Amino acid sequence: MLPAEIKETLLQRIAHAIHPREQAIDVMTIMQSHYGYMSDEAMEEAGGLLDMTPLELEELATFYNFIYRRPVGRYVLHICDSTVCWMNGHESLLQHLCTLLQVEMGGTSPDGLFTLLPVCCLGYCDHSPAMIINQVIYGDLTREKIDSVIHKLREQAHAS
Amino acid sequence: MSRYPQVLFQNRKLKRINTLEEYCQSGGYQALADVLREYTPQGVCAAVQEAGLRGRGGAGFPAAKKWESVPADGAFPRFLVANSDEMEPGTFKDRVLIHAEPHTIIEGIAIAAYTIQASKAFIFVRPNYEGSAAILEREIKRAEEAGYLGRRILGSDFSLEIIVHLSGGRYICGEGTALLNALMGKRPNPIKPPPYPTVKGLWDRPTVVNNIETLANVPHIIRNGPDWFKGLSLVEKSPGTKLFCVSGKVKSPGCFELPMGTPLREIIEEHAGGLLEGSEFKACLPGGASTRFLIPEQLDVRMDFDSMGEIGHRMGTGAIIVFDQKTCLVGATLNLIQFFARESCGWCTPCREGLPYLRDLLWRIENGEGKEEYIPTIRSMCKDMWNSFCALAPGAASPVESLLTYFEDEVHEHIVQRKCPFQ
Amino acid sequence: MPKLTIDDLEIEVPPGTKVIDAAEQLGIMIPRFCYLKELGPAGACRMCAVKFLQGPFKGVQMSCMVDAQDGMVVSTNDPEAVAFRKQVIEWLMLNHPHDCPVCDEGGQCLLQDETVSGGHGLRRYLGRKRTYRDQYLGPFIAHEMNRCIHCYRCSRFYQEYAGYRDLGPLQIADRVYFGRFKDGPLESPFSGNLVDICPTGVYTDKTARFRVRHWDLERAPSLCIHCSLGCHTVANARYREVVRIEGRSSGKVNAGFLCDRGRFGFGYAAHPERPRNAKIAAQNVPMSAAVREAGRRLLEIRESSGAEAIAVLGSGRSCLETLGMVQHLSRVGKWTAPDFFENPQMERKVKAIVSQLDARLAVSLRDVEKADCILAIGVDPVNEAPMLALAMRQAFRKDAKVVVVDPRPIFLPMRFEHLAVSSARIETLLQVLLQVLRQTDLAAPPAPLPQPIQLSEGLLSEVAFDSSVQAQFHALVETLVGSRNPVILCGSGVVGESVSSLAADCAEVLQNAKGKGGIFYVLPSANAFGAALLASSPEHSFLDTVEGIENGTIQALVVVESDPLRHFPDGPRLQAALTKLQFLLVLDYLPSETVRRADIFLPTCTLFEVGGSFINQQGRLQAAEKVHAVGTPIHQATDEAMRSARGEEGGGKHPPRMYDLGIPGGEPKAAWEVLDALMEALVPVAEGTWREDPWEVLKQEIPLLASWNGRGYPADGLHVVPEKRPGAAVALPLETEAHTSPSEASLQLLLVDWTFGTEELSQYAAVMRQVEGEPFLCMHPQDAERCGLAHGDALEVRLEEGSIRASLKVRENMACGVMVLPRHGRIQWQELRNLSGRVPFECIQKISTDTQVIEDLR
Ligand SMILES: Cc1cc2nc3c(=O)[nH]c(=O)nc-3n(C[C@H](O)[C@H](O)[C@H](O)COP(=O)(O)O)c2cc1C
Ligand code: SF4
Ligand code: SF4
Ligand code: FES
Repeated sequence: MLPAEIKETLLQRIAHAIHPREQAIDVMTIMQSHYGYMSDEAMEEAGGLLDMTPLELEELATFYNFIYRRPVGRYVLHICDSTVCWMNGHESLLQHLCTLLQVEMGGTSPDGLFTLLPVCCLGYCDHSPAMIINQVIYGDLTREKIDSVIHKLREQAHAS
Repeated sequence: MSRYPQVLFQNRKLKRINTLEEYCQSGGYQALADVLREYTPQGVCAAVQEAGLRGRGGAGFPAAKKWESVPADGAFPRFLVANSDEMEPGTFKDRVLIHAEPHTIIEGIAIAAYTIQASKAFIFVRPNYEGSAAILEREIKRAEEAGYLGRRILGSDFSLEIIVHLSGGRYICGEGTALLNALMGKRPNPIKPPPYPTVKGLWDRPTVVNNIETLANVPHIIRNGPDWFKGLSLVEKSPGTKLFCVSGKVKSPGCFELPMGTPLREIIEEHAGGLLEGSEFKACLPGGASTRFLIPEQLDVRMDFDSMGEIGHRMGTGAIIVFDQKTCLVGATLNLIQFFARESCGWCTPCREGLPYLRDLLWRIENGEGKEEYIPTIRSMCKDMWNSFCALAPGAASPVESLLTYFEDEVHEHIVQRKCPFQ
Repeated sequence: MPKLTIDDLEIEVPPGTKVIDAAEQLGIMIPRFCYLKELGPAGACRMCAVKFLQGPFKGVQMSCMVDAQDGMVVSTNDPEAVAFRKQVIEWLMLNHPHDCPVCDEGGQCLLQDETVSGGHGLRRYLGRKRTYRDQYLGPFIAHEMNRCIHCYRCSRFYQEYAGYRDLGPLQIADRVYFGRFKDGPLESPFSGNLVDICPTGVYTDKTARFRVRHWDLERAPSLCIHCSLGCHTVANARYREVVRIEGRSSGKVNAGFLCDRGRFGFGYAAHPERPRNAKIAAQNVPMSAAVREAGRRLLEIRESSGAEAIAVLGSGRSCLETLGMVQHLSRVGKWTAPDFFENPQMERKVKAIVSQLDARLAVSLRDVEKADCILAIGVDPVNEAPMLALAMRQAFRKDAKVVVVDPRPIFLPMRFEHLAVSSARIETLLQVLLQVLRQTDLAAPPAPLPQPIQLSEGLLSEVAFDSSVQAQFHALVETLVGSRNPVILCGSGVVGESVSSLAADCAEVLQNAKGKGGIFYVLPSANAFGAALLASSPEHSFLDTVEGIENGTIQALVVVESDPLRHFPDGPRLQAALTKLQFLLVLDYLPSETVRRADIFLPTCTLFEVGGSFINQQGRLQAAEKVHAVGTPIHQATDEAMRSARGEEGGGKHPPRMYDLGIPGGEPKAAWEVLDALMEALVPVAEGTWREDPWEVLKQEIPLLASWNGRGYPADGLHVVPEKRPGAAVALPLETEAHTSPSEASLQLLLVDWTFGTEELSQYAAVMRQVEGEPFLCMHPQDAERCGLAHGDALEVRLEEGSIRASLKVRENMACGVMVLPRHGRIQWQELRNLSGRVPFECIQKISTDTQVIEDLR
């Protein structure tokens, strides 16, 4: 169940929309940031708010890139694999990340902290290679930069 | 600093946006005030028509012509959508623009909305531009507080609400009609006109979709007049400046505001600092991932819609991706096709099934399993992509087709050597 | 009208016709997957590419996306178009499995056809084929997603056309998946159409799975007789048994689709217990012997008690030929006038309806699709005549307003306004409506109506509906006034007898003003219309017969394809009466209780075995053809033989090898043939010149058919209604008596139909057990509260001698003061012997405290 205040925000957004459906992505995104991912139950809950059947919502959830229908780690790393990043060494950085986090593409690290997913061009080609972790962009990636980012996130996780 | 006049980027700062106050000081929102006071919607249309503003989203469609196609007796409420989905690989101008001068976008939206008499506007932003969306939301609020948005703007009869809509994230959502479906919370498959969105768009109401760069130009046209706008360009038929994005093997990748018609060579060698040490120019995609490879012999072409068209290329979004002699173009094309295959909306057969087929053939060639007979197959399939439902698949075919046109030898080399010669 | 040239042939078509359809009219079938006329263009598959040589379009274009225009020159076989189509096929086959031999679609697969005709024979693609996980979609439909070619027909039909929301496209790119959120039965009662429209074998008929190949089937155009609409079907049989029903497109009835009751309900025809032998005192005898004996017994009774001591009961599930013969036999034999309705009240209503219909007012099902305003009175489309809901939805999709006036908890797959008023109030409401319509200038451009509407005699205050109903009523009148093509739908189940004429009057007033629109009735059975046409005496009903039996004036009852023990509302009374009969003769093909009680039983044939004519609720006379030969289905015969030869476990069944079990000459015959034989036993041959041809009989019995020879049916059947109805009914004075006042401690009992589980024939189909759900009844929250009951409670309703058990559904969207009870096959609702129709509160008891919440069924 959603905390009352989040639910209230969602209901307000929905009330403000021309048609509830219009808010489907926002509702799922907000619920996802609360739950971590959209479980079947969360989908049904969201459908209830939006006057949509779970199927109708699933049609959207599975279309898009940033709605997670399976459990993900605390940090979701989307590493860009499009042209410019590819040209600038995406592949070796990906290798590095996999080793560092002990995951394969699509997997979650054994400590449950990191999920590694591909993403297409992030619009940061001027800072390629790039990745995005929980909405924060990291550009001009090198192995060293990746090491320090991951290190920081790990510390952050252990601190809380 | 650029030696060309800066319009959209005139107030670009290194680390922060230009604030509302700063924007107003430099004459911002004056155009909106003038429009609301002195212009009929037809008047705005006429000015923009005369200035010859063409869409910056890729197709170069005249903005005023699109606005005019909203029927005079069309239903209300009407909608304006500012497209900042920007998922075309190599393109990041919208992001830079939002971070530089958000209010020129907002003012542009207000004027365009007035022109088509829309009461609600959406800015459609890709999900990982959350930062940009936050900026927009904040600045919209400020503009509202300052009376430039909201009910009865600047004392006129015109009211406008702007909503920032964060997409779920898919390339196809940038396509004008798919975007409308996305906004309405439907699956973002494109819609085939007729009826055109300007007649029956969002919730069956007249809707105009424009790129945000297109819209950002509008206040400046009103403020300085059509002739000034035309004078900004180095060519006749594509007036104004253009935001060019350069990325890849150049020294200073970035987004530059340059006159329409600036030669490609100048953009790469001068503004982007030329190629990296040890790199030689081999090819570039001049207008994003969905345009054709362009080769050194063509570097002197001017970057505008018509000059590019004349040599059989497209300027697209003006996003230039530079490849050097050390980069395997078969590999690059495979990467591009992988992008398009993954981003296909899955509606029509050529794109949904044909792109994975092309990917498979390119993968085989790149990985030493290629056969000569693949080449004619790829060629004919690229041609067949043009019979798909929307423009995604033909765009996807462009790099592949131009690879075979300009770099057939490199492809052969892969097949003969049974491996990628660059590895 | 645009004139264009396709493959050198010229054709003129109505504006808006797609090029693909224009070509089809010329006999050129352009390949297609996604396009289906009913669903409109999608442009998804790209298979229909043709080359435009001249006109506003040039080059290769999709013929399903382009409207035919003047001066177009189109080539379907231009090499460029052909090459592209071949490429499309290759693309579609990249991932399609190559296992046609184990696919049920094989032999009637559009993908097979187009692959072969498109010339794609060699696989070039070396990649792996994509695979999906299939879902369980319920007992009707099998799902094999690997076969999908992503034409989007299924989701477009399911969601857009039919309006259900639990199946659709998921995922993106080449992973797009068509299915449900989770495994589970499809919620739509129109799900079977997926089988027909899917161009490959993704959705196949689970009930027919792996039983037949298309080319082995005996196929014939048939009709659906599971409700009064008379949808057109194709029946498919193999080894003397129907295995599958498909939809067939009709210009006046169904657009090629069917509901799941009509598609999957045919199991009665080959029911394992179907009585296939003539019987005397439950002993199998040759047919001829039984007929002779029956004749003898009837003659005996005529001798002893007179001809009027013999009564006949037919029903609306018989074909017109049979009903005509019943009528004739009874007339020639000078028996008591026959009845064709087991339920006397229903008989009166149907007769009233039939007398309202004329050629001008009666609209067809396809006309309903074109209405811009639909007022449904006392009709529950999804449950009573499912395909009507689909037609209404098509109107709704074109922005028609839909208003339903009905006490029941109505569900429709569309947005609609529901005036949930009690049955008695429907009548009042219609009287007011009629009056308002009569005094409004309907031809004038719509202007806002005064609020409240001024009535000449201040009617509305007298009617005293609560304010929300008044507001709804006001909106309804406004909608009707503003409409251009208003259609009124009117049921026969829960409304009073005068409603049909009031509805017709409203429709007539509207039609006079608008020049369009009309009325559409729903009747209780497939041939109720025909039965009402034949039922000669307006006064006589089966109740009279029952009384006659009780007081001894009737001594023999001949029951023809009818089951009074099922339909007569007072079960115990009929049970008692039947024991008084001297002779009960039953002709039927169902293993019914009435059949079990017969002194002599004569087996008859189903529609599939002999064909037959039916008149649907619009008055449309339509024919079903014979599909397969009479006789025990071979697999049943084989099963039985195996069992007796080697015990239960013995041997395989394939190939079937036993071809007969019956007594020679003992097969069932068409009921009218059996009656004919009976006639021969009763009346000297010389008197009957009609015997060979039942149509000669019908011409005598039904004046409207006098000039009709019963052969060479027009494609859309024959509309047998008079030019002009006898005359508008006089508006009855308003009922002023207090309607169900809340203080009254009883509920009005409404026995109703449900999509699955109540209809007579489909009840005998085994697969229906899986979808019919548990018996339930519905009450309004207020009533439930007053009885201290809650949703999900298990209840017992006990009246006089009988009782039924069902669980309670509490529904907001129904009228107060009524109890809605579907006539579920597993409850003995007849035992409530409820002719008066009221259930006192104290008769409703909760029987268990542990509330079992029941799944909703639609
Ligand atoms: C696959 C595809 C993706 C597109 N993505 C974008 C985009 O991200 N932003 C954009 O402005 N236009 C995009 N377009 C172009 C739009 O369809 C549309 O032409 C444009 O937004 C119109 O604006 P304009 O007239 O101002 O150029 C895309 C087109 C296609 C076919
Ligand atoms: S080309 Fe077809 S499948 Fe591809 S994005 Fe457009 S409509 Fe969708
Ligand atoms: S399941 Fe059948 S009808 Fe649906 S998209 Fe696939 S092939 Fe078409
Ligand atoms: S039938 Fe025309 S595109 Fe599918």
